[in-house]
Amino acid sequence: MNDIKYDYILCRFGELTTKGKNRKDFIDRLFQNIKKRLKDYPLLSYEKQHDAIIIHLNGIDHDTVCDKLKTVYGLSNYSGAIRCARDLDDVKAKALVLIKKHPYKTFKVNARRQDKSYPLNSDMINREIAGHILRNSDVKVDVHHPDIMLYVIVKNDRIYLMDEKIQAAGGYPVGINGKTLVMMSGGIDSPVAASMMMKRGMKVECLHFASMPYTSKQALDKVLDLVKILTDFQDEIKVHIIPFTDLQVKIYEHTDTSYAITILRRMMYRIADEVCRRRHIKMIANGESLGQVASQTPESLSVIGGVSENLIIRPLACLDKIEIIDMAKKIGTYETSILPFEDCCTIFAPKDPVTKPHADKCEYYESKFDWAPYIKECVDKMETIVIKNGDTRLEEDLF
Amino acid sequence: MASNIYLDNVSTTKVDDEVLATYTKLLNDYYNSDALYDGGVTVFRHQEHSRKLIADMLGVKSNEIIFTSGASEANNFVIKGLSLMHPKGHIITSYYEHSSVIEALKQVERTLGIDVTYIKPQSDGTIDPMDVKRALRDDTFLVTIMKVNNEIGTINDLKAIRDALGGHKALFHSDMTQALGKIKIDLSDVDMASFSAHKIHGVKGSGFMYKKAHIKIEPLISAGQQEFHLRGGTSNSPANIVLAKTLRLALEKVDDKRIDEYHDYLINGLKAIKGVVINSNDKGIKSLINISTPIKTEPMINALNLKGIMVSGKSTCGSKENEPSRTLEAMHIDSDHALRISFDLNNTKEDLAYFLECLKEIIEKYE
Ligand SMILES: Cc1ncc(COP(=O)(O)O)c(C=O)c1O
Repeated sequence: MNDIKYDYILCRFGELTTKGKNRKDFIDRLFQNIKKRLKDYPLLSYEKQHDAIIIHLNGIDHDTVCDKLKTVYGLSNYSGAIRCARDLDDVKAKALVLIKKHPYKTFKVNARRQDKSYPLNSDMINREIAGHILRNSDVKVDVHHPDIMLYVIVKNDRIYLMDEKIQAAGGYPVGINGKTLVMMSGGIDSPVAASMMMKRGMKVECLHFASMPYTSKQALDKVLDLVKILTDFQDEIKVHIIPFTDLQVKIYEHTDTSYAITILRRMMYRIADEVCRRRHIKMIANGESLGQVASQTPESLSVIGGVSENLIIRPLACLDKIEIIDMAKKIGTYETSILPFEDCCTIFAPKDPVTKPHADKCEYYESKFDWAPYIKECVDKMETIVIKNGDTRLEEDLF
Repeated sequence: MASNIYLDNVSTTKVDDEVLATYTKLLNDYYNSDALYDGGVTVFRHQEHSRKLIADMLGVKSNEIIFTSGASEANNFVIKGLSLMHPKGHIITSYYEHSSVIEALKQVERTLGIDVTYIKPQSDGTIDPMDVKRALRDDTFLVTIMKVNNEIGTINDLKAIRDALGGHKALFHSDMTQALGKIKIDLSDVDMASFSAHKIHGVKGSGFMYKKAHIKIEPLISAGQQEFHLRGGTSNSPANIVLAKTLRLALEKVDDKRIDEYHDYLINGLKAIKGVVINSNDKGIKSLINISTPIKTEPMINALNLKGIMVSGKSTCGSKENEPSRTLEAMHIDSDHALRISFDLNNTKEDLAYFLECLKEIIEKYE
């Protein structure tokens, strides 16, 4: 035996500090999400335990599965595990192979008995296994900062030998905290905001404002491609597309150009509110952050967000652009986000937007036309597309 | 008489049925992939998806795959594109590269004052990494060594060559045309590589160049924004789109054990025929066997052709010229009597048996 194959992946939970029903909900939801994420591998089987979910690999490649698990929120960490007989000789032999597989110099064995009737106690098990490794390899023990910690868990019918803990995505399982409507442009920020909401356990629906013909089919495709990437985190995502052009033209007709963007964004929130009402959602999120320019000043954010009756979360509010870009690269949306297509806010962009808008001035401009029917019409004509994970939105049989 | 036994798969291959069906369908999508209306956008998206799938299959990034008209163009692109940036510089290559490498090199020698060192293969047909290392100079900007030779099939150890180059600034390119679909390839060993579709049951006039993202190169075809501004001209979208499927199907077959079986069967059969010398050795790909027979190459090809068997002598590209094969010459093999047999999974054991039988008969009759 010189190569070792993992039999299981042991998944540990994320921010599971709660007890009782919440704990059960957390685990159930995580369990469902993991199964959805791995739906392409029907050979896998699962075991739900009170402190972990065990995935039985049944021959499926360990790395492939781990790669998929990277995007499951609610998972704190996971380890590859090998099933051994309830016999220390078997454990010793496999532990040695596992250690030699990695270029590690130091190790520590950490045994735990879940079945206390096992004749050796944890210390004795540790010493037995460590002794065997020391005698048969050049790896040394380091109890404080080992390169690898070998976990041994004694159950009543088997012993698990477990590799290093691999850090997972953390957070809460998507869907456990209700729904959020995320305003989704084609930029770098909004997909990051969406993923951060998901990490807090929110299931997201996306809202996109399209200004055809001023914006192109490609601009819309880009948004849908971004959402497609996000389906790695949430298996299925609804995208609501608002035909925004008519209202947008009206706004430019009736407002001073310096206030146009402010009013435009207030209308967007009103539309978002209406969508929330129809979709039974009570929270809006977007990629807005605090800055110095135009719609990003505290005054702007306040005057714009002020029209909404929903809770508004701006997960990126206090992040630097560099930090946001790093996160976009991490979730895989960056490359798509930087493709150059106009979105509804870059067309007609005024040269002189106000940086400190006043609410009463906004109300003054808005009183000059009857916008409410336009809001309703936007939402009535809204088109909803469901994007599913694995769906390329292309003619699959060409490939 | 059995007929149409194709044993010249190094020269080109039969288009895969599934590839052909998809390609035919794609020919109807005539829109320009750079057009802004829906038809064009869809073609563009399919093409970019193909690029991404190809990149994923080879473990590289999408923007490192540049579609070309084939491996000859990719080879020319690398050599001329880099030579334009390094006139009077130095290139190292092997003595037995494909004509698209050799001729492009002669051209830049002639026109840009490039100095080229040609490394001779060792007697086993491989290039010695130490020979490459010894040839390195301060002004060497490119080393180009093929992965698999198209005449006798030897496989070069690119990793060893890469290691021998050490930290030298020269870029390392490899013509991997004959390696693709036949052996596992690792692009992390090289900076650039050339590939062709019609050698892996794809369509002709299609291929791609791999180029690490940060490497700057002058375009060979200067025109529009296509291929990251590096290769102008309206994209050959149907071919580019179907290339992902072509590659996927080819890579799925890389480990097929039937090829090893055919190889052993042929070798044993050939050994039993009096007068046949096997020029290939165990350093090569399994699906190509180079032999010498007592009959001169051309009459032999003709005689086999009369029996419905298709093979070639030296590289097909030079088949109508009278120069001796550089590969065979370098390995001290008499190219006047050489024959290249290259089979694949479309062949059957019966094909091979029939070939052996005919070969024996022809040798006995005409010797
Ligand atoms: C090693 C090698 N390189 C390049 C080529 C040329 O490929 P293409 O026909 O795609 O230009 C061939 C085949 O002719 C070849 O065998």
